[in-house]
Amino acid sequence: MDLIDEGDIRAVLEAALADGGDFAELYAESRRGRSLTLDDGRIEDLVSGLDRGAGIRVVRGRQTGYAYTNVLTRQALVEAARTAAAAVSGSAKTTVADLRRVPPPVRHPVARDPLAAPSTALVELVTAADGAARAVDGSVRQVTVVYSDAHRQVLVANSEGHWSVEPRTRTRLVAQVVAARDGTIQTGFEGPGAAVGHELFDDHPPDLVGRRAAERAVTMLDAVPAPSGELVVVLAPGTGGVLFHEACGHGMEADIVAKQASVYAGRRGETLGTSLLTGVDDATVIGGWGSFGFDDEGTPAQLTVLFDHGVCTDYLSDRLRAAQLGIPASGNGRRQSYAHLPIPRMTNSYILPGRDDPQEIVRDVSRGLYCRSLGGGQVDPASGDFVFGVTEGWLIERGELTRPVRGANLVGDGPTVLARIDAVGSDFDTREGICGKDGQRVPAAFGNPTLRIGRITVGGTG
Amino acid sequence: MSQSDDLLGLLDGIVARATPGEGVEAYGVDATETTVKAYDGQVESLASARTRGVGIRLIADARVGYAYSAALDEAEVAATLEAARANAAVASPDEANVLPPQAELPTMPQLWDPRFEAVDPADKTDLAIRLEAATRAADSRIKGVDTATYGDSARTVAIASTKGLRGAYRRCDAYLLVEALAEADGATTSAYGLDLARVADDLDVGAAAAEAAVRATRLLGGRKPPSRRLAVVLDPFATASFLGVLAGALTAEAVQKGRSLFAGKLSERIGAERVTLVDDGRLLDGPAAAPWDAEGVPTGRTTLVADGVLVGYLHNAYTAAKAGTTSTGNASRGSFTSPPGISPTNLFLRPGPDEPETLLALAGSGFYCQQVLGVHSGANPISGDFSVGVAGVMVRDGQLAEPVREATIASTIPDMLQALTGVGSDLRFLPFGGGIGGTTLLIDGMTLSGA
Repeated sequence: MDLIDEGDIRAVLEAALADGGDFAELYAESRRGRSLTLDDGRIEDLVSGLDRGAGIRVVRGRQTGYAYTNVLTRQALVEAARTAAAAVSGSAKTTVADLRRVPPPVRHPVARDPLAAPSTALVELVTAADGAARAVDGSVRQVTVVYSDAHRQVLVANSEGHWSVEPRTRTRLVAQVVAARDGTIQTGFEGPGAAVGHELFDDHPPDLVGRRAAERAVTMLDAVPAPSGELVVVLAPGTGGVLFHEACGHGMEADIVAKQASVYAGRRGETLGTSLLTGVDDATVIGGWGSFGFDDEGTPAQLTVLFDHGVCTDYLSDRLRAAQLGIPASGNGRRQSYAHLPIPRMTNSYILPGRDDPQEIVRDVSRGLYCRSLGGGQVDPASGDFVFGVTEGWLIERGELTRPVRGANLVGDGPTVLARIDAVGSDFDTREGICGKDGQRVPAAFGNPTLRIGRITVGGTG
Repeated sequence: MSQSDDLLGLLDGIVARATPGEGVEAYGVDATETTVKAYDGQVESLASARTRGVGIRLIADARVGYAYSAALDEAEVAATLEAARANAAVASPDEANVLPPQAELPTMPQLWDPRFEAVDPADKTDLAIRLEAATRAADSRIKGVDTATYGDSARTVAIASTKGLRGAYRRCDAYLLVEALAEADGATTSAYGLDLARVADDLDVGAAAAEAAVRATRLLGGRKPPSRRLAVVLDPFATASFLGVLAGALTAEAVQKGRSLFAGKLSERIGAERVTLVDDGRLLDGPAAAPWDAEGVPTGRTTLVADGVLVGYLHNAYTAAKAGTTSTGNASRGSFTSPPGISPTNLFLRPGPDEPETLLALAGSGFYCQQVLGVHSGANPISGDFSVGVAGVMVRDGQLAEPVREATIASTIPDMLQALTGVGSDLRFLPFGGGIGGTTLLIDGMTLSGA
């Protein structure tokens, strides 16, 4: 059953444009989700619930009025539409076109519906991850495993006649491990997720997830303090994607570009990176953690090239910023929930593989830092300056990984790093995370081959 | 009937469905909010909302389950209670799973300002537009404003449980937030300015604009500094980030699970004598003030560090039962969708006698840290390692000198607490992870790394 029927949709859109305006839209969603936490060997919290609501947007010129509510009666929705309409001063008359229901252009099939899995099956998943993590080494002290799933129905309808309802399912398993020995404490993390059901665990068996997190923590127990200064840095597959996302991707988002707050504003067509570098954002990856069929304003998912062999190519846009910049909407208008306005966001942002042999890339380094895992990073889009913690790092000495190092930070700025990439491997891997921007959190995936950066500042403690 | 009565009535109905032997707690929120963003002299967006929802915690045979719903019709609420019951069935039993005891819930009528409902919507848009204009006009090097936002919210929070706990309170808040962009010689810097109040009338546009402009322009022309050890002065924003890390390590949850460098250190000296760290949920100036916490335990004042000695942790009912003590009233929830966790309310270092200028003079030569990046990955509350990205200004002869970017500062949390030689008198609460009090802070001997 649909959240809101055609008659109510039409009534809402008409109320939204009753006082004028260029465009009106109704976004509604219903989200059922579960999360289960195993901590310290105990099944702690199994949380389940329903969140649902609708947001109505009215656009007039460069002004946007928005009102949302989680009361979904026609009366409450029409009242919200009137509130949104009152926020923009308008006289432009727009009529609501006939609604045409369209199917999602890309489907992300779900083989094993997570909501159909009984709670006991979830308990088995987290218990398997916990057991495998504890079996890695006697130094493993703490294991936390979190399973989560969400099933959403997303409805988008607008005054241009677009009407779509898309199911979106996501499943994720995260393991965090603390290992301790002789007063040294280290943590390890592994967290695969995808826009699929429980078939996620065919590719990522829960015991493997637990084991990987534990191995990371245990390895780092032997770490020595990281060196400081400028070093050659090699990023492992799946590890550099988050750096690309933060330091380059955010600056390519059209809202930041439109406000001249991006270091990439006005630089389309310029060669900013090495010719080895091609970076894309691709919402069409089947089952990708950041994928969808339509974005959250009904634009079809697509692949956008951000940097084509080093040339700054296309920005990521939603409807509003695409119109401002005079570019086509790239299908990157996303929102955390009905309580938020859509803004340009990345989906699955990847640096594409190149031709270099990953082993050769390391062998050619006389002294440097190999990053197998990066922690959360932060970037100032205005300057492109970023900082990333290296959660699993190794010293490279004469072409070999010699010792793990701790406390390393990578410090730099996006354009400089793009220009200094001097080797791109033929391998590729992805990681999944939650990206925060303007107070909105959305699932985002990162991917890359082995990458070498000729020179970057490493802030260490050694 | 008032909103509080409606919500309490709903919660009473849920609690009444408990079967004998079950503990049931129902928590409800009904909130409205408005956010206005200005750009280029006009309203860019205005959003307004009403949301409500209920979260149900159910304890049976020492097992706890949680379920929530944004739909409040009878069938959905009944299904939510059933879900909480089913969720409890698979959880591990733990005798510390308890609902807080009945208490006379205190009130804090000052959290509600009757002027809130009288604010003209036009005044809200006017504040956002004036904030943008004032920021642009504050300095010729300000080339733009990324966001100029006015926001407010009014919320009713209610709780009822089978222990007989029952209450509701209302609070209102308003804020201004602006991010200024400064430019010189082709390089751009940015910084925030912020003001918080109970109602729009008490917000200071000029102060927020000036703060963003001063902090953004101060960083212009920044270069990588040479690496060395020196005295570091943290500005109030940077201090609040640092205290946020400490707060995480001072929750009893982190301590009991062995995820805190402060585990097992009660009554030990962990910092310099001038370090006194206090959490006070009843401080009206603090953004996290509330009469009771997210599970109905009255808030209070908790000293965590007294003159350098660790004397306490932040507790909710679960960790308190585990430790055989009483809750400090620090249960928190992000929303009705989350079971209670623990977080600070209004956490602050007891201010010292010195003005920020005096602390700069005491530092002599050093680094004034205005922005920290990467705290989540760079500050480890378990190992105590601390290494974060920074932007700021070098200090020479006690004065601000050349700006710095793309640098890091590093130390360990225990060393930083020992080397904390000055707390400024400029206490000011910031809405980071509850409400954290920022002051200027002088820390001797950290490693600055740049080129």
